[in-house]
Amino acid sequence: MRYRIAGFAALAVAAWLLPYGLDTYAIHVVNVIIIFALLAVGLGLAMGVAGQVNLAQVAFFGVGAYATAILTTRAGLGFWVSAVLAVAATAAMGLLVGTPALRIQSHYLGIVTLGLALAFTNWVTNAQVAGGAEGISNIPVPTLPGVDLSNEYLFYYLELIVLAGGLLFGLFVVRTGLGRRMRAMRDDALAAGALGAEVPMLRMTAFLLASVYGGVAGVLYAGLIRYVAPESFGIAGMFLLLAMVIIGGRQSLIGCVVGAVALSVVRELLVDHPTYAQVAYGTVVVLTVVFAPTGLAGLPARIRAARGRRGAVAAQLKPFQPYGQSEAPPADAPPVLRVDDVHMRFRGLKALGGVSLTVRRGEIRGIVGPNGSGKTTLFNVVSGLYRPTGGRVEFDARDVTGLAPYRLARAGIARTFQNLRLFGDLTVRENVLVALDRSRTVDGWRYVFSPLSVLRRDRRLRGRADEVLERYGLTGFAALPPRSLPYGTQRRVEIARAVAARPRLLLLDEPAAGLNGDEVRRLGEMVRSIRDSGVTVVVIEHNMGLVMSLCERITVLAGGVVIAEGSPAQVAAAPAVIEAYLGDSMSADDVELPSEVNR
Amino acid sequence: MQVFLQTFIGGLSLGAIYALVALGFSLVYRTMGLVNFAHGNVVTVGAYLASTFYLSSRLPFVLSMAVAILLTGAIGLVIERVLRPLENKDFDLMLIGTIGFGIVLEALIIMIWGATGRAVPSPVPGAPIDLFGVRIRTYDLVVLAIAATATVLLVFFLSRTKRGAAMQAVAMDHEAATAVGIHVGRSNATAFMIGAGLAALAGGLVGPLLYVSPAMGGALGIKGFAAAILGGFGSIPGAVIGGLAIGVLDGFTAGHFQGYSELVTFLVFTMIIMIRPTGIFGERTVNRA
Repeated sequence: MRYRIAGFAALAVAAWLLPYGLDTYAIHVVNVIIIFALLAVGLGLAMGVAGQVNLAQVAFFGVGAYATAILTTRAGLGFWVSAVLAVAATAAMGLLVGTPALRIQSHYLGIVTLGLALAFTNWVTNAQVAGGAEGISNIPVPTLPGVDLSNEYLFYYLELIVLAGGLLFGLFVVRTGLGRRMRAMRDDALAAGALGAEVPMLRMTAFLLASVYGGVAGVLYAGLIRYVAPESFGIAGMFLLLAMVIIGGRQSLIGCVVGAVALSVVRELLVDHPTYAQVAYGTVVVLTVVFAPTGLAGLPARIRAARGRRGAVAAQLKPFQPYGQSEAPPADAPPVLRVDDVHMRFRGLKALGGVSLTVRRGEIRGIVGPNGSGKTTLFNVVSGLYRPTGGRVEFDARDVTGLAPYRLARAGIARTFQNLRLFGDLTVRENVLVALDRSRTVDGWRYVFSPLSVLRRDRRLRGRADEVLERYGLTGFAALPPRSLPYGTQRRVEIARAVAARPRLLLLDEPAAGLNGDEVRRLGEMVRSIRDSGVTVVVIEHNMGLVMSLCERITVLAGGVVIAEGSPAQVAAAPAVIEAYLGDSMSADDVELPSEVNR
Repeated sequence: MQVFLQTFIGGLSLGAIYALVALGFSLVYRTMGLVNFAHGNVVTVGAYLASTFYLSSRLPFVLSMAVAILLTGAIGLVIERVLRPLENKDFDLMLIGTIGFGIVLEALIIMIWGATGRAVPSPVPGAPIDLFGVRIRTYDLVVLAIAATATVLLVFFLSRTKRGAAMQAVAMDHEAATAVGIHVGRSNATAFMIGAGLAALAGGLVGPLLYVSPAMGGALGIKGFAAAILGGFGSIPGAVIGGLAIGVLDGFTAGHFQGYSELVTFLVFTMIIMIRPTGIFGERTVNRA
């Protein structure tokens, strides 16, 4: 840590002294590099941190620069007034370009943002107000009392301060709640939503951040070059920027800056051979994605890993510490969950055909049934991943049918997934933190106006996360990525994460799958203790030993309908259940069966 | 009405080109779930190769086209082979990898053929045919015929040959395909090669219609992609219909909005995608928890 601070101090001093060693051409180049670095940070936040493929970053840059140019030369406003309005305009544009991200992701989003960026260049090339293909020249010099900003040496310091501020703010976002939720969404949007991350809001926030960085870079560009033209904001610029971010390492903002600086310097060295430079950086992009997806920023960790695995997992899974007993709920408490005649169809396939069940407060309910009987579909409906094609779901006597997963999560439903959905690039502690953190995305204004309150809150959350990890015996793994852990431990992390959300209803989807006998026994104790702390538990499980010993009531599904419900002993004796599991040759012919099963 | 028909017919021939580009996108996408962002540049390479053989070595148009398709197909093989380690792992990284290839190809094109473009004379001379007052260029008919033939051949290949069936199997479930002994990498390579070949065909055909320049691939690629999405990404008939639709839309916006036609086309496209992300023939996929 001390080395790191010393390193940053040395870097800051070097950056401050840099202009003294540069001639006028070199300082101009450096000024342009800083603008690209700022753009790269914005792109890194959207693409690397939030996972939103944003190929419109260069258009945001253009909107900022053009807005400044138009407002100063056409409307006659002062530079700084124009600058503020320009950034606001870019932010609005960012939200507009980000809207498709609510519906589409990945490749589709890439092509839509690229298309919108092309639409922007098409507009400025044609619009009279933007000066057409000629562009706009004679943008006034920004004024600052006592500082002559037409001097590029002094402009350098302005840019340096803005970049440092932008980078620090970006790092602040990435390392606290907002950025953590964005990274969780990047790794697994479904699981993030099920833990209460407001996925749509977060996607818009990502585009908002990217566009503000783009807008600020555009303002600086207009102030530095004092001339804007369409070709500065074309696709070639976008791909160059993308190359900077990929080569530097998209998930690390510092990597993005390093990539921007490195690529710009190389391009400057090859300034007489731009096509060779282009072949070179295109090749490096390809090599980077294939051989070093984390870019330059990921190299230190890779080198460390290659140099022998010191610090490899030596941590031990500690036993789970049971929760204290909370008061038993009153007998007349309303049911926690009521599923009423829920139907779910996927085109021709009927997954659920009218399922009804009621779960009392403080119960452990088992849901069993053959494969394909609709158990996980039922969970997906209850946790909001699917909107049922018919029927109602009530949680705590409130109709929650078809609510978005994050709303249900915030209302008090948490779940685990059959095939483990941990956030792969977050540490175990961060996985738990995502669930603990219930701050709303709209409270993001705190990041600007009250950063200290964000930091304090985050410290509090970290304390609570450590308590959760301690209770689940996971303290030793806190700083590790989940995929480096044994399977059984990963299962436990997922349960810890779900419980950290402090739900009133916990849905466990095959928690014992892949566990050995001893682990299953401990899982049973864990679930019982979670229930004793006041959480209602519904568990899908194939391990009959566990279900019979753990659950007070069991619901049996087959073919998308409930074929039996009752205590373990009742269910085990029900003929319909025996038939569903063992085939009808085992049961007598005169047994009445629901028609769906007969078919 | 006459103007309408004239614009419509004019849009169709460019639409047939977009359809070929879209077929290349869709074929690669359905086989391996990847969008090849270098596809537009591959089209440009094809256009330059075809026009080079046609103009300088005086090969007949058909033959120069065939050579261009073969050479461009080889480029497709190279792209697939380099990116193979990422297949079925990280699609966003693969997407960026293809963008990297696009950057390289664009620079190579400028290095070999220069930054200025060239005009290619029409290989079928002759006055336009006059049909009820609508003038149709003979070359437009040639383009439509060749595009239709290529589509039919592609459908035949996918549905009637063993290798085509193997590709369909990989598209449905690459793990199951591996389990029954299909070489997934080779199947993907075939898809990439055919996709690049279709791109070269589109590039070669578009040469006499547009001006061949290093920048042409960008616009063709993105419109071909839009066509593929519009029709329903991964669907073969969707790609054809989407291509023709974008071609016609393009023709009308160019007539009505002049310089702003690109702006309007992309805004309309964005709207359509947001309203119906799966396109006309696309399947709605289900999230599996």
